[in-house]
Amino acid sequence: MISELLSDLKYRFRALFRRGEMEHELDDEMRFHLEREAEKYQAAGMSPEEAHRRARVVFGGVDVVKEESRDAWGLSYLESIMQDLRYAIRALRRNPGFTVGVMVTLALGIGANTAMFSVVDRLLFRSPPLLRDPDQVHRIYFASMDRGTEDARSGTEYTRYLDMRRWTSDFSDLAAFSVRGLAVGVGNDTREGQVATISASLFDLFDAKPVVGRFFTAQEDTVPVGAMVAVLGYGYWQTNYGGRSDVLGQSIEVGSTKYTIIGVAPRNFIAFSEEGAPAVFVPITAYAGTFRAGPQLTNYYTRYNWSWLEILARRKPGITLVQAEADLSRAYRLSWDNEQSLQHTLPPAEIARPHAIAAPVQTERGPNQSRLAKVATWVSSVAAIVLLIACANVANLMLARSIRRRREIAVRLALGVSKGRLVRQLLTESLLLATAGGALGLIVGHWGGALIRALVLPDHGAGHTLSDHRTLGFALAISLGAGIITGMAPIFQVRRTDLSDSLKAGVREGGSRRTRARTGLLLLQAVLSVVLLVGAGLFVRSLRNVEAVRLGYDVDPILYIYPNTRSLKLSDDAAEATRRQLVETARSLPGVESAALGLTVPFWDTWTEELFVTGIDSVGRLGSFTIQGVSPEYFATMGTRILRGRGITAEDRKGTPLVAVLSQAMATTLWPGQEALGRCLRMNSDTMPCVTVVGIAENIKQNSITEDPGLHYYLPIEQFHPEAAVVFARVKGIAAGQAESLRRQLQPLMPGDSYLTVTPMHEIVDPNVRSWQLGATMFLVFGGLALVLSGIGLYSVVAYDVAQRTHELGVRIALGASVSDVIRVVVGDGLRFILIGILFGGGLALWAGRWIQPLLYAVSPRDPVVFGVVAGVLLFAAGLASLLPALRASRVDPTVALRTE
Amino acid sequence: MPEERLDLPQGTLDLLILKALSLGPQHGWAISERLHQVSRATLQVPQGSLYPALHRLERRGWISARWDTSDNNRKAKYYELTKSGRRQLEDEAEDWRRLSAAVELVLAMR
Repeated sequence: MISELLSDLKYRFRALFRRGEMEHELDDEMRFHLEREAEKYQAAGMSPEEAHRRARVVFGGVDVVKEESRDAWGLSYLESIMQDLRYAIRALRRNPGFTVGVMVTLALGIGANTAMFSVVDRLLFRSPPLLRDPDQVHRIYFASMDRGTEDARSGTEYTRYLDMRRWTSDFSDLAAFSVRGLAVGVGNDTREGQVATISASLFDLFDAKPVVGRFFTAQEDTVPVGAMVAVLGYGYWQTNYGGRSDVLGQSIEVGSTKYTIIGVAPRNFIAFSEEGAPAVFVPITAYAGTFRAGPQLTNYYTRYNWSWLEILARRKPGITLVQAEADLSRAYRLSWDNEQSLQHTLPPAEIARPHAIAAPVQTERGPNQSRLAKVATWVSSVAAIVLLIACANVANLMLARSIRRRREIAVRLALGVSKGRLVRQLLTESLLLATAGGALGLIVGHWGGALIRALVLPDHGAGHTLSDHRTLGFALAISLGAGIITGMAPIFQVRRTDLSDSLKAGVREGGSRRTRARTGLLLLQAVLSVVLLVGAGLFVRSLRNVEAVRLGYDVDPILYIYPNTRSLKLSDDAAEATRRQLVETARSLPGVESAALGLTVPFWDTWTEELFVTGIDSVGRLGSFTIQGVSPEYFATMGTRILRGRGITAEDRKGTPLVAVLSQAMATTLWPGQEALGRCLRMNSDTMPCVTVVGIAENIKQNSITEDPGLHYYLPIEQFHPEAAVVFARVKGIAAGQAESLRRQLQPLMPGDSYLTVTPMHEIVDPNVRSWQLGATMFLVFGGLALVLSGIGLYSVVAYDVAQRTHELGVRIALGASVSDVIRVVVGDGLRFILIGILFGGGLALWAGRWIQPLLYAVSPRDPVVFGVVAGVLLFAAGLASLLPALRASRVDPTVALRTE
Repeated sequence: MPEERLDLPQGTLDLLILKALSLGPQHGWAISERLHQVSRATLQVPQGSLYPALHRLERRGWISARWDTSDNNRKAKYYELTKSGRRQLEDEAEDWRRLSAAVELVLAMR
């Protein structure tokens, strides 16, 4: 049955597209027949002419045979479709205003959705390239109870990875993976690059073959130190080695170690990197085995103190997700017990209740979905609503058009065109419009998508909408969907057409009042616009609130300078001297207002030590207290205010009494309602010397802008790890443009192959504001789009009404109605309409508010200002949309209006 | 040539073509000749109407076509029964037998 259908379709298409060839074959076939027939008669004794004539008579009319053959080829069906298409194109070209309007409307709707799809697809649905059976592969999360809340992490230790390999049985492959930003290359060619440190087993998860050489094997990935071999990423190989195959055997410096190149990964192979394509892939044990934390090698494969990698695993065939998670949790529990036997401060498994989660590969589908992904998902449903509004608009226009064409349709029905054919014709028209709109929408989506991706996924690299088959397929699907939806309305109209009524009625009666369908569509648009605009208002207010949050330090003028010592092994004294030199030189540079030493940078890293305070049982239970080591200029450089007491001064050196400045939040957490100044902190053990609190500083945000306890304290850097210091510089004006010149001027101070990275503070803080920016921008764009579309919709309906009511309005004016009376009638009609929309839309927005609340900041989803402004904007737009046709109506000349009938 | 010749009942041409092809691949003219001879010239198969029928059968996938050299060294289009064509032939032949038996019964009514 299926094969017959397929052969049928293949044949028809051949007939359609290879028509000439088929005709030619038919001619040959018939000629052959006639010749053989004639030969037969000649053999029986006829003359050649007589024989040929006879053959033709017996054969019958050649033209009839051709005609019937073409029917047999199934062309008539396809030809009728082509006919419909031609008819549709003709009809649309006769009405260019309508056509362009519909196309642009649909293009905006489809473009918005295509753009959002290209973002959400990358965030949530697309799996890494070349991954085999992505549904069977999981990112493993480890969950346990911490201070009363459950916390799930994907980051874990190599020891844990070995435990999971040993104690699970439901997985065919388990792989460990981590991307590190490291220096790659030698000498001047050294660049900071993404280095994927992976277990050899990771390659088995993919359908990837090396383009040159080979991948490393399990024998080269063993504890304590794996083989020093490296596989180049395809892109890195192309740019840095010109794609030459003699790279094999060459050595490459990664971080502080030399590796031998043994192969090149295929194009598109990025493992599970979310920061783009790695430059190099090295065995995870080769990296970890040579990694030094301070002067010591880590015991990375026996201890649980270095959480730096993630685990990915493939389920064995036939193992369900539930079984797999049970298997993982069992193994994790054993691993937990093992860890607890080494580290007694860890709570026992009975309290921590450790269990493992096998989540999809995409991090945004795991337990720790980012706010950004949530907002992006919301925004894409907003895009869907915009498309819905666009469709409603188009359907409305189509309806108006089909009402105008009612007589034409009735005539065609009367002439014997079947209703089915007519329906097909109308559908052809709307599908044609939607496809054209979709093509235009792809362009909109291409640019829009690039913009949104730059905002949402700056690290994911550029993806081209126009060459991405998933996005193209999506655009095509929604275009066809839109075509069918918008085509439905006129089709119902046709099916209800009553011949005699329509033919008898004049143009005016052809549809003098708006139909219920049109009213419904208009109302739907108004309601949805209200909802979107309310959303936009809430997000804009949230963004403004977030931007107004005092971080506790300045952002715009600050540069973060990080000295990367690489393979260089400096003594602590030398490291400290280098840093002091850096900060002093930085301070002397023109354009730099001040510079200071720090230890950590907000949002990127934190430093904690165990704290002991007399009178408090367990300080750790009160929260996590983070440390900043600072030089005296730190507070002035960062703009952090000292509220009470003093800051750190030049007197706080090695050997002088230990002091600390506390954040206000920390002071009130430790000594609620009491004076914190002069109190004593002890670090690491309750027998250590006293660190005296000498000042209280304002709170800072260092993990999250909106929810940060701000438990933070400052120690003089000279008393606390001066060898690990980083530099902050405060420059005049905006820092971003000065980062590179500062780096160039300071780099000569760096000994050996060590180097500096200089990052504007803005780049560090921005990602934390991004979700609100995205929400506010996109809701505003889409809300505005919805408003414009609804306005156009209302305008077209009112204008159409006015055109239909010319006669009535003419009569009114003739009877003495004034211009303002007419305007009041028409505008009042439009406003009444929008008022109903505002009521329903407002109700809907109030009801839906609770879902969006978690994504807002410091604004209630029922914010009366937002609702008020939206209502005002909508009324204004509606007034405008109906005022234009009203003015036209008021200029109706009664004599003309009455005479036309 | 016999005087009495029968026009084909609607739809039987397909059955006859399928049957003729069940003996092996043939070009159009040979099919027409074979039907003519086997029916002892009783059946009136309009030669021209053979071709639309052949093309229809090809479209349905019951026969397949290819160009080949004929016995006298000329290019001719040969048709061949496909697997589904063979099934179709069996079905149609069975239908025909049942139909003619039924008609026979009715005619034998007293």
